[in-house]
Amino acid sequence: MEPQCKRRKPSENETIPWDVFPVLSDEQSQSITLLDAYAAPIINKKETSRIVKELTLLYPLPGLQHLKRVRACKGSGSTHPLEVIVCLVNDVRDIDSNTDMSISTLLPRAKMDSTGLGAPFLVKIPACPPLTRPQFEQASRHWPTSFHEDKQVTVALKGQLFTADQKAKMQEYMTAAVMAAKAGQDLGMDAVGAVIVDPQSGRILARGHDNRRGTHPLHHAVMVCIDLVAHGQGGGAYNFEKYPACQFLAVDSSHCPENGDISSSRIMFDSDQAEQSCVPYICTGYDLYVTREPCVMCAMALVHSRISRVFYATTSLDGALGTKYKIHTQKDLNHHFEVFRGVLKQECEDLKDSSAPIKSLKS
Amino acid sequence: MNMETKLEETPADLEDSFSPSSEEIESWMQKAFDMAKEALESGEVPVGCLMVYNSEILGKGRNEVNETKNATRHAEMVALDQVLEWCRQENRDPVEVFKQTVLYVTVEPCIMCAGALRLLNIPLVVYGCRNERFGGCGSVLNIPADELACSGAPFKCVSGFRADEAVEMLKAFYKQENPNAPKPRTRKD
Repeated sequence: MEPQCKRRKPSENETIPWDVFPVLSDEQSQSITLLDAYAAPIINKKETSRIVKELTLLYPLPGLQHLKRVRACKGSGSTHPLEVIVCLVNDVRDIDSNTDMSISTLLPRAKMDSTGLGAPFLVKIPACPPLTRPQFEQASRHWPTSFHEDKQVTVALKGQLFTADQKAKMQEYMTAAVMAAKAGQDLGMDAVGAVIVDPQSGRILARGHDNRRGTHPLHHAVMVCIDLVAHGQGGGAYNFEKYPACQFLAVDSSHCPENGDISSSRIMFDSDQAEQSCVPYICTGYDLYVTREPCVMCAMALVHSRISRVFYATTSLDGALGTKYKIHTQKDLNHHFEVFRGVLKQECEDLKDSSAPIKSLKS
Repeated sequence: MNMETKLEETPADLEDSFSPSSEEIESWMQKAFDMAKEALESGEVPVGCLMVYNSEILGKGRNEVNETKNATRHAEMVALDQVLEWCRQENRDPVEVFKQTVLYVTVEPCIMCAGALRLLNIPLVVYGCRNERFGGCGSVLNIPADELACSGAPFKCVSGFRADEAVEMLKAFYKQENPNAPKPRTRKD
């Protein structure tokens, strides 16, 4: 590796390192919420299983199955080995809160034998099961919880989901989007570019740039690419001949596995899709690379088009895949997809800056 | 006929031309329903719409997703294209025209179309039934009312016109589309 002597401006062909991060749902990315509860030390360890059994009957804690009822108090300097969640503060709300909670208030003698339990104290417990490792670590500081880790999300959050080869591919596709953005900019358009890729074959199926300052105010780069994919499938609604950087690749069904070519066979995730695997259907199974985060119109157009994954470089003020909305994780919608940000971030950041004033209408 | 239209917000701050009388609504919506029927007969999702400027229909649309293989070809997008074409032919500024154009549509615009209508500063949308699956004017998201500084202007909605009829057409479509599909889960209205 060459030693880096001085900071210098990167030249045209040099790319600045970038990382790719998942854009998670609110449920996955927010910090955990906590509930107030009463816990008590188990003074007599031999009573533990009876206590837990009887507590579970008296205070079943519905919806909190992720919580471990008993926690060990190792090394905390306490005189008792275990602590147990007795109940939620809300479970005993009708008891006068001014009186100091004693174990006999929480566990009236008629209902349960509190032998073996010490004086209750207040704790905060996680209200929902943790979905990500950061949430799990945060939750565990309050009370032990179970955690069914989604390994892919954990790896993705560390920015380690993709191999160097995969990142090289991503860079290649995003570079194609940047080139399209620049071609559009030369025609007086906002510098936004996009490509749609079939990840199974590695081929770019459509490449386009923003045309909203040209023939159609709604021809954002994503909308252009969606129509170009349709052209490649023998459909399409618009003519982009005026824009030589807007191109599509014709795909046909002759590449079906049945026809002897496995290069374009897709891994299908359910039987419904498998039936249609030979006939390309809108953007099913495809990836989009776009230089900046799509707006709400484009994001929903991608839902309708059944896109598989979206990679964008930089965020947008009204962006709908992370900033203002997370359309890709929106509940009630019939299609969800993965979104990653950060690919070739700095290059696309520079594009955004160069976009602000229109230089000239002619190239 | 169901004439139970409800104004979600009184469009008092709209100019008179954007507060259509119930007679006007009835006559424009009749035409939108005719478009929806045409879509149903062509095997497309039965949504029909019109874009009306100065009491003139500048655009008519019905869903064209299947014939274009482009999932964004909803009735509203098709009609918007016709308004743009009209502007080109008449040499009119689309920005000025869209600002005074009302959309009449049989089903609540989806999130994508609501985003498009907002970007073009359409001031008023009159629609029939709600769109529980994709609706962008309150059902799933509320794009016309949300704060989006860089995405055009908020718009008003008048909803509920012949809603039952619009729902029935959608049901008829989903029945005919896939006779082998398992019975669709019914939503309680």
